[in-house]
Amino acid sequence: MTSALAVDDIVGSEYEHGFTTEIESDTFPPGLDEGVVRAISARKGEPEFMTEWRLKAYRHWLTMTEPEWAAVHYPKIDFQSISYFSAPKRPEDMPKSLDEIDPVLLETYQKLGIPLEEQKALAGIAVDAVFDSVSVATTFRATLAEAGVIFCSISEAVHDYPDLIKLHLGSVVPHTDNFYAGLNAAVFSDGTFVYVPKGVRCPMELSTYFRINARNTGQFERTLIVAEAGSYVSYLEGCTAPQRDENQLHAAVVELIAMDDAEIKYSTVQNWYPGDAQGKGGIYNFVTKRGDCRGARSKISWTQVETGSAITWKYPSCLLRGEGSVGEFYSVAVTKGRQQADTGTKMIHIGKNTRSTIVSKGISANEGQQTYRGLVRIGPRAEGARNHTQCDSLLIGDRCTANTFPYIEVKHPSANMEHEATTSKISDDQLFYCRSRGLTEEDAVSMIVNGFCKEVFNELPMEFAVEAQKLLSISLEGAVG
Amino acid sequence: MTGAAANFAGWLAADGGRPDAAGPDWLTARRHDALARLGELEVPTSRQEGWRYTSLKALLEQGFVRGDAPLAALQPDALQRILIPGLDSHRILLVNGRYTPAGSAPGDLPKGVRVGGLRDLLAQDPDALRERLNRVAGTEQSLFAALNTASLDDGLVLLLDRAVCLERPIELIHLSVGQDAPRVAQPRHLILLEDGAQATLIERYLSLDDALYCTNAVLELSLGRDAVLKHERIQMESRNAFHLTTLYLAQDAGSRYQGVNIGLGATWSRTELLTRFRGEQAECDLQGLYLAGDRQLMDYHLDVEHGVPRCTSRENFKGILYGKGRAVFDGRVLVARDAQKTDAAMSNRNLMLSASAEVDTKPQLEIHADDVKCSHGTTVGQIEPERLFYLRSRGIPAPVARRMLCLGFAGEIIETLSSEALREQVSEQVGQRLESAPLS
Repeated sequence: MTSALAVDDIVGSEYEHGFTTEIESDTFPPGLDEGVVRAISARKGEPEFMTEWRLKAYRHWLTMTEPEWAAVHYPKIDFQSISYFSAPKRPEDMPKSLDEIDPVLLETYQKLGIPLEEQKALAGIAVDAVFDSVSVATTFRATLAEAGVIFCSISEAVHDYPDLIKLHLGSVVPHTDNFYAGLNAAVFSDGTFVYVPKGVRCPMELSTYFRINARNTGQFERTLIVAEAGSYVSYLEGCTAPQRDENQLHAAVVELIAMDDAEIKYSTVQNWYPGDAQGKGGIYNFVTKRGDCRGARSKISWTQVETGSAITWKYPSCLLRGEGSVGEFYSVAVTKGRQQADTGTKMIHIGKNTRSTIVSKGISANEGQQTYRGLVRIGPRAEGARNHTQCDSLLIGDRCTANTFPYIEVKHPSANMEHEATTSKISDDQLFYCRSRGLTEEDAVSMIVNGFCKEVFNELPMEFAVEAQKLLSISLEGAVG
Repeated sequence: MTGAAANFAGWLAADGGRPDAAGPDWLTARRHDALARLGELEVPTSRQEGWRYTSLKALLEQGFVRGDAPLAALQPDALQRILIPGLDSHRILLVNGRYTPAGSAPGDLPKGVRVGGLRDLLAQDPDALRERLNRVAGTEQSLFAALNTASLDDGLVLLLDRAVCLERPIELIHLSVGQDAPRVAQPRHLILLEDGAQATLIERYLSLDDALYCTNAVLELSLGRDAVLKHERIQMESRNAFHLTTLYLAQDAGSRYQGVNIGLGATWSRTELLTRFRGEQAECDLQGLYLAGDRQLMDYHLDVEHGVPRCTSRENFKGILYGKGRAVFDGRVLVARDAQKTDAAMSNRNLMLSASAEVDTKPQLEIHADDVKCSHGTTVGQIEPERLFYLRSRGIPAPVARRMLCLGFAGEIIETLSSEALREQVSEQVGQRLESAPLS
């Protein structure tokens, strides 16, 4: 067995991506009132309807209270001490191609291991890179345009496709949904808009890399993906953040809409700064993600690998409205140090013959706290609905916590609902077996943990699967003593 | 009166005043403490996690009042109607919450066993109970336990000295008889097994008619080192009754508790089972079976706290729902920081036979230690058409085949009952309910 010291060495390894890029930011002073909401809207040159939309959300948000039911602990957030807008310099002078992009920015991406050119060349991925709050680069627009796919920042979409925005924005996650969704609707900075027209199979995997980079700036992304009848799109989201002392709030909203026979695959690798060993300075990740399977036989699939953030609070959900629609949720969440994660999913079965699958794998090390919180509701008209849920927890070390809070509500007799959960540690037998075959303890643990997560990794697109495995290895190698 | 006490004034005393039942001073003080706690508590709403799926509205609307006068006499044939032929037991009868010597038959008891009515023992030997009563339940009681404590008066006492083994089961019959007004009975049962003692307790809740009443029972069970208790609870209250049970169980090292909970009756029923381990290598096994039909709610809350290492807990609850039946299962297993080598498994399986039934299930695990084996599983489904087809192809009519399959599903739990006579009675009752149920 590895000594406790070696374990701590590896588990306590410093955050790899912790560095800051010095760029002048055009940042609002901290504070939030109607003036700030108007100013954000004005700064982005939004049309009147958008400003009104934001103000309506803001006014409603004032009446809401912060949710406290999640099993996470953090000092109360002072919403007046956050700056609600931050754009890279020269917002009106946006670069037209990669060559025009600030070299410091490009360098940042290189440090992160995601050089745009390489991405373009090797993976064939169109990257809409969000640096702070305004998108500064969008690639492969032409190829996508040929297929009729719209892939742009939400700000652009507000100008260029106001009808689509009016129709869909907030239709899955209304501003009244919850406290953080309300806040997001009022102050959202930017995000991604994807529209796949009828019958189109998106020719490439779409991807946005986020990076929080201005001190004390909450990021409030908003993503909207609409897949018209018979279309298919796969979207990848990944993020890393530089080291910080003050907690940073991130309250994103993601809305997915799938019409008849459409399929949306949404994958996330989240590796934001988790705070130091004492849990100081990490990101607060309070996200509302919801997919609406509006059409018959539509499918929405969420895959997430969550290794970062001090606090994660997110429940990617599916509303299964269309007859025969399918919802999937695959998740690997890792908490170590003082990280806390309260995550899970909701599968709301409304239509007939709807199916859902939930596979959640939680790994908790050191003093990490992890909660799976899920809801499966089978409504009174959801004839023939099926759900299979599996949530497994792996505990590493005797100071960590793993909770499982599933809610299952069944109102139709033809429903078939299964839920399984297990909690265990890496067994000595498994380790012994691997070691007797000449593997080092680290390799053995890495192998066992990767095997534990395999079901989820298999759902990730190739490039992400590699990144996810690497992340997991860095986080947990040798963490058994 | 403030808080929840105001909503339940009628439960506390017939005249709505303070609880002033007989008993020693220390007991009066404990009743008053509970009354003070009621003043702090509020009537739970669906916003509270434990009451998310269960409404108290119907219960509050009935305006139950406490019944004080003991029943004059039981119909002569009543006893014959409720006894189970072939069940050889030490029998204790409670009628409307009052110990009734006339129908009780404790029989020959070995040395070191005390069985009887709580009120009697309080009169004869109050000091024997001073350090025992209301100890396992503690002071942080929930609303209905506090109501029970505030009006603590009568119930069963079962005390077993060190290493005493009872061969025959103790049978506690809780009979409710309709009265002039909707009454609430709040029996308090105290079951203490000292080190190495062994016993079987059968607890039956019954009614002779379709009377409207409420039972709010609280049980305090304490098992000493290596003590073994087999505890079988059969709830067959009247179809109009409201039933509440709060069961507090504390187990010392090496003790074994095997509980079986069968819920068949009442229109509204809630059972809370709360287990705490006080020593290592204790085992707690909870089996459950519930049937919920039209106008029936079966609500179970299980809370097992593994506060010490090396204990084992099992929960296995199965439900059959038909008509407009509703069931709630809320199980929680907590493994504390140092409770290594914990082995906990929880399972809840439901069979839904009709379109308007509803199941809400919430099996929860909270784990703060790493070297543990914990699992939970839950399913909701219906009778598999293949099985039905198999039986029908052998000439068995569909309704009979369905009943057979349901009984097979329920059989796993019924079989854990220790007495053949009781198994037969429960199977028969389950069969009867399924026969009258609309099974399509």
